[in-house]
Amino acid sequence: MTVGRGRAASRSTGSAGTLEAAGVSFDYGDGAVVEDVSLAVDSGEVVVVIGPSGVGKTTLLGLLALFERPDDGTVTFDGTDAWAVDESQRLALRRRIGVVFQDANLFDASVARNVEYGLRIRRSWRDRIRDALGSVIGPDRPPGAVREALSVVGMADDLDSPAASLSGGEAQRVSFARALAYDPDVLLLDEPTSDLDPRNTAVIEDAITEAGERGIGVVVATHDMHQARRIADRVAVLLDGTVLESGPTDAIFENPADERTRKFVEGELVY
Amino acid sequence: MSPCSAAATVAPLAADCLLVTPLFEFPFESVYVRSIVFVSLYVSVLAVLLSTAVSLPVALVVGFSEFPGKRLLTSLINTGMGFPSVVVGLLVLFTVSSQGPLGELDLVFTKEAMIISQFVLATPAITAISLAAVTSVDSNLRDAARALGGTRLDVALVTIKEARYGIVTAVLAGFGRAISEVGSVLIVGGNIAGADGVSKTRTLTTAIQLEARQGRYETAMILGGILVVVVLAVNALVVRLGDDGVMR
Repeated sequence: MTVGRGRAASRSTGSAGTLEAAGVSFDYGDGAVVEDVSLAVDSGEVVVVIGPSGVGKTTLLGLLALFERPDDGTVTFDGTDAWAVDESQRLALRRRIGVVFQDANLFDASVARNVEYGLRIRRSWRDRIRDALGSVIGPDRPPGAVREALSVVGMADDLDSPAASLSGGEAQRVSFARALAYDPDVLLLDEPTSDLDPRNTAVIEDAITEAGERGIGVVVATHDMHQARRIADRVAVLLDGTVLESGPTDAIFENPADERTRKFVEGELVY
Repeated sequence: MSPCSAAATVAPLAADCLLVTPLFEFPFESVYVRSIVFVSLYVSVLAVLLSTAVSLPVALVVGFSEFPGKRLLTSLINTGMGFPSVVVGLLVLFTVSSQGPLGELDLVFTKEAMIISQFVLATPAITAISLAAVTSVDSNLRDAARALGGTRLDVALVTIKEARYGIVTAVLAGFGRAISEVGSVLIVGGNIAGADGVSKTRTLTTAIQLEARQGRYETAMILGGILVVVVLAVNALVVRLGDDGVMR
């Protein structure tokens, strides 16, 4: 992984499962939110983007998730420029990325149907209609991948529970399983534990580590420095839309090169 | 009329009367009632199905895209909910009459003309209520569907599913407007029943209007009761279908 400022800081090895933003900038119309940021994640790597609220972490993740087209710079997946290909090819790239938001955003359906969603929409329309008819006349049998993804977050016994009946922590765990079920190459997580209690936070962090061990590249945006230290292979410090500093976790926390990074990791106010 | 049946029409006073006669005698042939119910349901259900097929995509487009004239279109849809049905009937009659643009289809006093009329009346109601329902769906859920790899169609389907209770309400409101309609179906349908007693374009509402006008209030009341039962049954069926979809 390489993170940093400017295109030169990004790596372009093009290895399998490499998602890379190179020199990206983005502006909602009232000033740049992200400016000249480069960040790449390889398969099996956990990259944590840390920074206070409102510095552009969510926007950066949105660019990596191919939700928004950068005003400048490129986002490539395995060397393919995602915005230089047609919409169907971009959809194929997007379908290799899993996203977990700060809020669980579960659909008004059972846990199993939520987790199965990503798998279902990847099937042909013929299969989807056949499955829908089958579920009307007979019991739902969720695919093994659904049960497997839920077991990663300790929710395998809640297959038939209505999503609306879950606690906030349980819902977020299901949201994680929903993104994991279709076996993405890269997972993007935006403040995934900011509203959770320590127990649910630990479950999610274990799941992130397990995803990395399974070869999934993971990018986590958080303002929680302790979490970054626990789960990150590498860290990028984002402030005011630019990367102040990046590198191996220990190097950033033990020996930060930038003064504002030092203040931030020591818990001082950086504004 | 026998004393027994006369009493039974009001209330069964004696057990033997109850055993040998119905609670009341229908003042008309059952084939007549069945054909009226059939025409009412056929016309209203088809009109509402067509309206729903048009209204949902319109609601989604108006709800989630920006285009010139969007506010005007929204105002027109809302205004359409209160459009006088008799005026709609007149406009549809003109459209299908021999001088009208659909004159060649020879639709005057047919069920098809009634369907067109009810379609025009039901569509604004279904569209407006569906629009309110789909725009009230949390935008984060649409983002989630997209983030999971959904296409525009997938996101639209998620939106419809999340808004299903509001959409069911919209469909029921449209059905209620259609099946309770008198003025426009009277104008474009003509309230015709054949010599064999089978309804051609007579609906429950137009039959009630006819019976009441001719002083047969008992018959009108019974037809009114049947209309209420039909509406309740359709509502229960649609709500049940909506509930079945909750966990799927």
